[in-house]
Amino acid sequence: MQMKEFKIKWGMVIDIDKCTGCGACMVGCQVENNIAPMTKSDPYNYVQALTKPRDDASNKLRTLTWMNVYELSNNKPFPEHETAYLPRPCMQCGNPACVPVCPVVATDKNEEGGIVSQIYPRCIGCRYCMAACPYHARYFNWWDPLWPEGMDKGLSPAVSVRPRGVVEKCNFCHSRYLDAKNKARMDGEDPMNLPDGAYNTACAEICPTKAITFGDLNNPEHKVHELAKSPNAFRLLEKLGLHPQVYYMSEREWVRKQGDNYNADGGGHH
Amino acid sequence: MSVARRTFIQLGAGATVGILFTPTVWKALDDVSIWTQNWPWIPKLKYGATEAKPTVSKMCESGCAVKVRTVAGEAFGTMGNEDNPLSGGGICPLCANGVQVKNSPTRIKAPMLDGQEISWEKAKEVVTEQLEAAGSKVAFISGDQTGTVNEVFSALLADKGSDAFYVMPGDMQAADKAWTGMMGGTGQIGYDLEGADLVLLAGADALESWGPTVANLKSFAANESGKFLFAGPMQTKTASVTSKWIPVPAEGMAAFTLGIAYYVLQAGKTVDTADFGQFKAMVMGDYSPAKVEAATGVKAERMAALAKDLLTASNPVVVPAGPVAAHGAAFALNLLLGGAMKALPEFGKAVSGAMSRSEMLKADVLEGVNTDLLFVYEANPAYALPEKVKAGFTVAFDCIQTETTASANLVLPTLHPYERFDDLASPYGVADATYSMGAPVCKPSVNAACAATFVLGLADLGFETFEEVLGAKAEAMGADMDSLTGGEAFVVEGETPRAASLAANVLGKAAAPVKGTGAVGLVPYTLLNVGTANRATTPNAPCTISNNQLMGDHMVVMMGSTTAKQLGVSVGSKVKLSGGKGECEALVQIFEGVMPGVVAAPLGLGHTVGDEFSKGKGDNVYKILTVNSEAATGASSWAGSTVNVAKI
Repeated sequence: MQMKEFKIKWGMVIDIDKCTGCGACMVGCQVENNIAPMTKSDPYNYVQALTKPRDDASNKLRTLTWMNVYELSNNKPFPEHETAYLPRPCMQCGNPACVPVCPVVATDKNEEGGIVSQIYPRCIGCRYCMAACPYHARYFNWWDPLWPEGMDKGLSPAVSVRPRGVVEKCNFCHSRYLDAKNKARMDGEDPMNLPDGAYNTACAEICPTKAITFGDLNNPEHKVHELAKSPNAFRLLEKLGLHPQVYYMSEREWVRKQGDNYNADGGGHH
Repeated sequence: MSVARRTFIQLGAGATVGILFTPTVWKALDDVSIWTQNWPWIPKLKYGATEAKPTVSKMCESGCAVKVRTVAGEAFGTMGNEDNPLSGGGICPLCANGVQVKNSPTRIKAPMLDGQEISWEKAKEVVTEQLEAAGSKVAFISGDQTGTVNEVFSALLADKGSDAFYVMPGDMQAADKAWTGMMGGTGQIGYDLEGADLVLLAGADALESWGPTVANLKSFAANESGKFLFAGPMQTKTASVTSKWIPVPAEGMAAFTLGIAYYVLQAGKTVDTADFGQFKAMVMGDYSPAKVEAATGVKAERMAALAKDLLTASNPVVVPAGPVAAHGAAFALNLLLGGAMKALPEFGKAVSGAMSRSEMLKADVLEGVNTDLLFVYEANPAYALPEKVKAGFTVAFDCIQTETTASANLVLPTLHPYERFDDLASPYGVADATYSMGAPVCKPSVNAACAATFVLGLADLGFETFEEVLGAKAEAMGADMDSLTGGEAFVVEGETPRAASLAANVLGKAAAPVKGTGAVGLVPYTLLNVGTANRATTPNAPCTISNNQLMGDHMVVMMGSTTAKQLGVSVGSKVKLSGGKGECEALVQIFEGVMPGVVAAPLGLGHTVGDEFSKGKGDNVYKILTVNSEAATGASSWAGSTVNVAKI
């Protein structure tokens, strides 16, 4: 399949050697994107006694974690054991597996910037895209979002709330991109040539070690441009040929090797 | 007109056909199916001008310097404050959820006396009566480590003739006992993690929960040429990014540190104190590498290599955690090395009659509190210090419901940090004395009040409101209140630490490892997203808690495969841990990053009061910790806790 090229290619470089897995990025992401906390009880369900309780956050198959931190292990016994943490947003693949399988074009990659879109009102909830995504970056709303009483007044103005039955995923805090472009226009600057840092995602902004660097991979003035070329940089499951726009960095060889673990023996798509 | 049978049938058939052709029925059925599936509640977004207002957040123990994001004046999110050295733009996972906690249904909405809502005037009457009745038998437990609120509280105690001011147990207290108590030092110890070229974290989980975590993380990231090493019984999140993990049992940390000091002394390093000779003799005699190896299991070559690294580094620092002895040993080693340990001057007092920070850290809450009238401020002793605190009448100040507010006689709702004036003076561990202040960034959503202002109304302490106290504080240190509330920090550089003694006598005895009698060692660890002693996990944090801490409603404990084999358990086994005066239930997870012979259990779970995100989730590990009195120092400590593990 022909890969669509963009003049601007927003991407991330995540330094695994700086990530302690604290979870601040995950919390920041949920707050920014109006992802409701998982609640078991539904005050609007008047026949609760007859229905199954909703899932709480312990059921990791039902949580909505656009940004998810995985724990890696080198699988060696004590005392050679080592761990690392890998934050995983949507990879915004250059050649996304989710886009061609969508029967209603609810997800597409056609906007300058190379962010894979997700149009909630158009999604019919078939979940083909979830099956296609090898990064498990897409999430299905099994339940209507519910904020405990009073908490809904503190919703982020940036992102609409999604109902149950639709798929959602990280979109690099797309409304921040729109805001940054609007600001550039108002300041008389070129919205298609944003300076480094003018547009930043919530997870990158909140990270205490600045393990996540965000920027335009095509722009030599953005830090990510160089970082992505580091000899320690790698992408997840590169052999699948999806060309993710999220890069990782680690000086540890075992970490880099695990980036491609499904195809450790070779093969796959080149 | 009579209706003939034929007419009746004709009308019936006509109606049936008519109904089939009219859209009304089908439309009604369609509507029913749609409307019964509609959202019962449609969330509405608020639109308007967005702002980011600087303030301080006190969800985590050290506090975070934050900016609260608001839309049309309504707070919705929290971000870091780039201009403040405590943040640099980052925040911790607890403070990241500050707004959600502010709006949580677990907020205490009004003063409550024995479960009945009362007015603030009535509350003041009740407290005044209780204060008169209690005389000097009044005590305060504060969960705030860094605030000037403590000055107000300790001044009230002084006014009543009491010195029973307690803080929740922690490394800040142990460090102060070692530094000002044992070694005769002045100031508060700090560590320049950004400027050091070698950092040995001797038990301090500095990049996850110890000290000013966010500032530590920022320093770690900025210090690209420095090398970080972590020593401890478990491969914590800190150890996942440090260059090396050195397995050392928690109770052996002081001995391990003195084992390194042995080589440093051998290399000819000295400190100018009266008891240096005695210290040297004690270390060379009692803490030789062979002896330390026998006591802790850490190889002598390992300590030699570490000592060599520390000696060749130009600005090394050792950061301790745990009991007083571990702190004393690390301070002595830092003084020998002359590296990046600092002594921070204390900012001037605002309230005359208040205790200094060091004085506030003297009383030992683990020894137990028994008083007539107890005030608890944003602390949760009923959860984290089970059976240690007894009082005739308890007044609990907090903004959300906890085990302590549930058992208190009088509950007084405090304003959330984003709704009040508050400050953050030098969280323990920072390299320079750093002061930050926060002004209210949004309106109170419940009938809450500022706890310090309430206390100022109970006695004549020289101020009417806490805002005035903070004004006096800024003036005392020569800072500008406007720039402080604007988010800038006031910083005074840390100084070179000087001790009067190396506490050779005490350290020699206190550093010897002492372990309980249970089958395996217990390593309690804190993760900020799971919660702290005073604050439970927050609404959006549960999905960040891994299966290594919580599975469903069950706590998970981790151990190495050799320990599991020894205990006859495997992944998923349900076990009962018994130690201290209690028991806990947990599931087993195998994690090779835990030393053999120990079990690692997360603190902060098992709440019995609170919201659905924390209540009934896992078990409370504080129940199974054993309180030991450290030899020679006399301080209480949880180090050396052991447990018996039984499969159930």
